[in-house]
Amino acid sequence: MAELDVALIGAGGIARIHLSAWTALGARVRVYAPDGRAPGLAREFGATAAGSPEEALRGATVVDVCTPTDTHREICLAAVAAGAHVLCEKPLALTTADAAHVAQAAAAAGVRLYPGHVVRFFPAYARLRDLVAGGALGRVAVARFTRTGCYPTWSPWFADPARSGGILVDQMIHDFDIARWLFGEVVRVHAHTAGHVTAPAPMGAVAAGTAVLTHAGGSVTQVVGVWAPEDTPFRTTFHIAGTGGTVSHDSLAAPGLRIVGGAGGGRADGIPAGDFGQSPYATQIREFAAAFSGRGPEPRVGAADGVEAVRIAEAAAESARTGRAVTIHRSGENEAIEENAA
Amino acid sequence: MRIAVLSFAHVHAAAYIRLLRDHADVELVTADPDAPPGDPDRGPTLAERLGAPYAATLDEVFATPLDAAVITSENSRHRELVERAATAGAHVLCEKPLATTEADAQAIVAVCARAGVSLMTAYPVRFAPAFAALRAALEDGRLGRLVAVHGTNNGWNPARSRPWFGDRELAGGGAVMDHTVHLADLMDVLLGGEPAEEVYAQANTVLDADLGLDVETAGLVTVRYPSGVTAAVDCSWSQPAHHPTWGGLTLTCVGERGIVEFDAFPRLLGGFDETAGRDRWEPGGDDLDAAMLDEFLDACRTGRRPRPDGEAGLRTLRIVLAAYESLRRGQPAPLSADPLPDRTGGGASAEESGRRAFPVPPRGAVPD
Repeated sequence: MAELDVALIGAGGIARIHLSAWTALGARVRVYAPDGRAPGLAREFGATAAGSPEEALRGATVVDVCTPTDTHREICLAAVAAGAHVLCEKPLALTTADAAHVAQAAAAAGVRLYPGHVVRFFPAYARLRDLVAGGALGRVAVARFTRTGCYPTWSPWFADPARSGGILVDQMIHDFDIARWLFGEVVRVHAHTAGHVTAPAPMGAVAAGTAVLTHAGGSVTQVVGVWAPEDTPFRTTFHIAGTGGTVSHDSLAAPGLRIVGGAGGGRADGIPAGDFGQSPYATQIREFAAAFSGRGPEPRVGAADGVEAVRIAEAAAESARTGRAVTIHRSGENEAIEENAA
Repeated sequence: MRIAVLSFAHVHAAAYIRLLRDHADVELVTADPDAPPGDPDRGPTLAERLGAPYAATLDEVFATPLDAAVITSENSRHRELVERAATAGAHVLCEKPLATTEADAQAIVAVCARAGVSLMTAYPVRFAPAFAALRAALEDGRLGRLVAVHGTNNGWNPARSRPWFGDRELAGGGAVMDHTVHLADLMDVLLGGEPAEEVYAQANTVLDADLGLDVETAGLVTVRYPSGVTAAVDCSWSQPAHHPTWGGLTLTCVGERGIVEFDAFPRLLGGFDETAGRDRWEPGGDDLDAAMLDEFLDACRTGRRPRPDGEAGLRTLRIVLAAYESLRRGQPAPLSADPLPDRTGGGASAEESGRRAFPVPPRGAVPD
């Protein structure tokens, strides 16, 4: 992938993980971040730092957007205007309208746009998809997903619903995307949030969300998200029941390696490092990079998926706000995105 | 104490009979007058197998003074047996759910109050020592304020062995009726009897569709309490029929200072059973039915109010009734705001309680 010139926008936690993956692929990366952290991050990985967004985008084949969600729309549109392919961290945008706008702009410009729904690349979820799609569970009746990680107080924007969308849009969107990937379109959503759901969030804040998705095919999915007390280990679980039996997973249950005692050290990390073997983040970037280079198959997640994930999350946020179940009507815009992408 | 177990319709009857049979100060009598003739798991055949004295008719049971009665009939038939027992002066332990309608549940509570007998609803899970520890951790503040709860109560489809569980008239509903109440009772304990405010439910009939039941077999229920706590429940009959164990119940409490996971039926031993060709699963945990019966017997002896009482049974039933209302509406439904019945007055008559339809989405239906 040496021919890829990547403009990495942002220098936070996800940017670091992405940069590591791009570097491993041999891409040339220039990093830009408005907070002044780009030079330090770039130096660590032998990348270069750009002094302005324009400098970063100039000549880039790919723009990798690792910034707070409320900035995605503007940066993605600038990338598309510059003729670059785009990898945009999830959520694609704060609103369905913005996400669809970005997706349409990319389709119209003939560039590829992939949202970073990285959970599709975690081995347990990828295998789950294979099982469900292969019919191993028969007809699925009911599914549960949980996602628990420390409250992301390391950067203030996560706690701010105006910037991140809150726990439903920032965190639980992972499992909304997975549920839709597995069980099809979502036609109705009901959700609640509780705990500390406003900015600023102090150390030790806790928030929780719960959502029930009804799929067009009749399956129902429960999603539980927790931004947990300090020192809570990152953990995801799922349990799915169908006419062909059940399948379940607990990310903490069967580690390939477990260290206890002082040598284990370290506080719980809010970003899962995956198991040993290839990082799911690296798998994701390799798959996207192959497509960006025109050499790989269509990745397992596309722009329309990113739009639909935001649509579900936005409906969940509306439900949490109004206390009503929200019926989802898909408008025609995605068909246009899908046709253009095809 | 002379104690009767009335009806063997519910699968729990046999467990209660075994426990009461072995109690030193209990004189047990059983009756199952509606047993289908020849059913090996009902009537005199079951009583004989369990070594329990059996009365052919209810009149025979009530001809001798009775101290207490355990009601294990079909859900919608609890009321008639409770009324008979309470009127005869017997304390009552009624299988869950207390009834299938608000009116029947109110009548059950009222008749026991009027007769001056104790009424207990059979919710065994709250008697788990681990649950007591969870409750203590919440009450002494170690967990901080409770933020949210999610729980599961999944099991084999009971209609496979007892078809009435799949009959809307007799059971009042399917998985939502059968399983939601257990978790609702745990919440009732944790929240000190705070009545829920609103319920959202979604359900389907995907599992065991071949049985042709007219009730839902899977459901997700979200219960909201005025204090701001939400309980997200999976009440599905989703335990596969060939699974080595019947199912289980879990409850996870997210507090401001920690997360607690409760497993009421933890797996004691695992491994693989080569003969059966499946996972080995030796269940652990304590005998919750025994602890529950101890509470009931103690209340009978001392005259104190047992926990969970009839009002707890009514509060938890209201959550389920709201869940069915939510299924009808496709929207959250508020709980019945009816006051608890006058402790001296009468409830609605059986005629007034009428029949409630609990429609579930037809198979494969797409919600609007």
